[in-house]
Amino acid sequence: MLKLVIKKEFLTALRDVRLQVSGVILISLMLTAVFVGRQGQKQIQKERVQAQSAMYDKWVNQGNKHPHSAAHYGQFAFKPKPVLSFLDVGLDNYTGISVFLEAHKQNEVLFSASQDSNGMTRFGEMTAALILQVLLPLLIIFLTFNTFSKEREEGTLKLIHAQGLSMRQLFMGKVWGTYLMVLLIFLPIILLAYLLLGQQSTGLGSGVTTKFLLLTSAYAIYFLIFVLLCVLISAFGKNSGFSLLSLLGLWIASCIIMPKATTNLADKVYPTPSQFEFKKVINDKVKNGIDGHNPSDVRLASLKQQVMDQYGVGSIEELPVNWSGIAMQAGEEYTDQVYDAEFTRIEHIFNQQNRLSEWIGFVNPYLAVRHLSMALAGTDFHHHMAFAKAAENYRREFVKKMNKDMEVNHKPGVAYGDYNVGKEMWSSIEPFNYNLPGATTILSNQWRSIAALVLWLVGLFFVSFIYAPKTSRL
Amino acid sequence: MKTILHILFFEWKTLWRSNTLKVLLLVVFGAGIYGIYFGKFEIDKQEDRISQVQKYERQQFDSLLVWAKLDTSIINNKEKYQKAVSPTGFGWSKHFTYYLTHESSATAGLCLGQRDLFPVYYGFNVTDLARQVNTGELANPMKLLTGNFDLSYVFVFLFPLLVVALFYNLYAGEKEGGTLSLLQSQSTSLRTILFGKGLLRLLIVWGLATILLILGFLLQGIAFGATGQLFLRWSLIVLGYCLIWTILMGVIVWFRQRSALSAMLGLGVWLIFTLITPAMLNLFLLANEPLPNRSQMIHTLRTMNDQNWEHPKSYVLDKFYPDNPQFNDGDTTDFYKWYYASFTLLDKEAKVMNDEFEKQIKKRNSLIEKWEWLAPAAIVHEKLSELSSTDRDSHLAFMKDVRAYHQGLKDLYYARIFSGDQFTIKDLQTLKKQL
Repeated sequence: MLKLVIKKEFLTALRDVRLQVSGVILISLMLTAVFVGRQGQKQIQKERVQAQSAMYDKWVNQGNKHPHSAAHYGQFAFKPKPVLSFLDVGLDNYTGISVFLEAHKQNEVLFSASQDSNGMTRFGEMTAALILQVLLPLLIIFLTFNTFSKEREEGTLKLIHAQGLSMRQLFMGKVWGTYLMVLLIFLPIILLAYLLLGQQSTGLGSGVTTKFLLLTSAYAIYFLIFVLLCVLISAFGKNSGFSLLSLLGLWIASCIIMPKATTNLADKVYPTPSQFEFKKVINDKVKNGIDGHNPSDVRLASLKQQVMDQYGVGSIEELPVNWSGIAMQAGEEYTDQVYDAEFTRIEHIFNQQNRLSEWIGFVNPYLAVRHLSMALAGTDFHHHMAFAKAAENYRREFVKKMNKDMEVNHKPGVAYGDYNVGKEMWSSIEPFNYNLPGATTILSNQWRSIAALVLWLVGLFFVSFIYAPKTSRL
Repeated sequence: MKTILHILFFEWKTLWRSNTLKVLLLVVFGAGIYGIYFGKFEIDKQEDRISQVQKYERQQFDSLLVWAKLDTSIINNKEKYQKAVSPTGFGWSKHFTYYLTHESSATAGLCLGQRDLFPVYYGFNVTDLARQVNTGELANPMKLLTGNFDLSYVFVFLFPLLVVALFYNLYAGEKEGGTLSLLQSQSTSLRTILFGKGLLRLLIVWGLATILLILGFLLQGIAFGATGQLFLRWSLIVLGYCLIWTILMGVIVWFRQRSALSAMLGLGVWLIFTLITPAMLNLFLLANEPLPNRSQMIHTLRTMNDQNWEHPKSYVLDKFYPDNPQFNDGDTTDFYKWYYASFTLLDKEAKVMNDEFEKQIKKRNSLIEKWEWLAPAAIVHEKLSELSSTDRDSHLAFMKDVRAYHQGLKDLYYARIFSGDQFTIKDLQTLKKQL
């Protein structure tokens, strides 16, 4: 009996001209987004890999010089464009793409695409995510808004009832019938997207496949939530017009208005400090000490004493090692501490802001799937921070190595310009290599969004189960 | 004329008695008020930052002026005095960090545009500018992506939806409510009646838009009169935009379809014009037209810098003097002359590269401008941000001011550095006046 209802719903939807038209539009949008997006992702990634290796070449072939000059010459880190970013571009156009790594300071990750584009960028980029999160629910609304009211208006509801079909069965039949229709559109395209991935010559890491499957499941759950919600509202709507208006109102509120209002609210609740304050705090702390009572000259003097005691000498000139190298590395490590504390503070504020909209995912499943999708595609804030941190660690490592070489090998009494090292030293630094966080890390970062989706799904099934029998009374 | 007024009056009565209109208007009005409030909040935050920076700059400079008057026979004063009067600074730290701020225009709070993507102030000393402006404001990229809920957003995105909601059952509502045959039996033609109904709805939309605009100007304290007829221009753009949507909905109503289908069609058009077309254009542009590789500039500058330090001082000064003959005294050995001359060379090269980048970007953006007419929402938003000086061009103009200000500072500093003189109190006062 249930199967019959599912079949009926599915076939009616399939034969509806309006839905055929909107289905075809949706599929062609998806195809374009997936094909063009994948092409673009490949090209951008190629450019970044080339830039990365070209810059490493420059580092290796910078010629003979003092290791500290080399640390000033510096290196670059380019953010890889994640493979799955063609499905969800996320924050990619609003975060920087490269960072210059040099001695003494932690530079910002710079040059976001949005800064080099005109106002049109703010309207977003057509990706599978936009279509699946925003447009497909609209199709679900059109499929379901009159699914009950039509039966009621045409008087078939009583007939079905008389056939011995329980309202609960009818309800679930409509849900699964519609869901089947949605999957018919969704699955082939997502399969195609997966095949497009496979064309990559370097082969797929198992991580990508896992993330892809998780992404697909997240969307599958999201659609089921939407179908349940729509059928429920349609079951209790007075008439088709009312159901349509309330569903569209819900869609506008959750997909268009709420996301903006939420992020704006988050910025108000957890205010972002200005760049000016941020830099001032860093400078003050480096100058006066993290606690404010340990100025840099006092720190240097005590370090001097400590090193002289360690080597049992009475003056810096008698040291068997290079004092500047030691002092520089100590300074480097002190600034690192300050930078770490301040950057962590900012990161914490941004995480709090984002978490607020993740929590609101419990009210609005669109927000939940949006966060989860970005995270799995590798384009969320956590991924940006992971890159920035990897680049910074790389910087610290190579600067430390330069300082160490200076400390040990640049003998006292030799002029700065007379101590030079070369290619052997430069190529002993491995090229910058950054791997995206794995699926487990992503899932644990996103537990709120996952919980929100699961809760929605279970809750809606529960509500449907309880209230479906009451539909007949209306 | 009398018939039209008659229709308007009775249609208004019917509309007002249904709760749908009240709810719709209330929601859009509420969104508008929130937009005005939010825009003001954002722009006030930027203004606060600007005044914080300016205040700090003045305080710092005032202490320089105090130090410059210190009695240097006291040993403890010597360092401070040197810091104040030496154009080359003290040790590795430079003489002074100047700030230039990008003041917001009158209606910036109504349309925040691209302003949140760029810093509204830059801090720099007289060394090369190129590496000092490579910085951004701290911002959560999530917020940048989602964009701002300002009044322009309400106009560009929500008003068309209001138009759709008011118009979709203009004809079908009568038919489905069973009143169509009654109307057809009237002496007034159905066309006139429908026109009257449409006109009333347009007037309601225009009325709400005007009220929100007036409130926006009032609540944000924007002068109505003086500032280049801003209010008039805003009104023209917004009312014109609403009119376009009314015409579009009029065409849909003209098909005389059922209300559900008309609503879907209206929403479909809205999706195409505000969401799908701009997103499609962006897809093709962002994914397929490469952006200039700006890290190339940092690389060029570090290589130049590297060469400058590796070679004898004449390497830099021989290139510097031909461009700046006023400083040419034939000295090619002095450290500070060499040091500051090298910054000028870096900036010169950076300028050439930056111009090249901007040319590329202009070409890239002109690609999108060719198709922009397909996305009226984007055009209107662009026009409003242009009016509010919150678009990218306005930031570029600010960058130009930064360069000019930096050059002005350099003229004074370099004159002292190359003559080997220190700043006099008068010099410092001249500099203070330029803050």
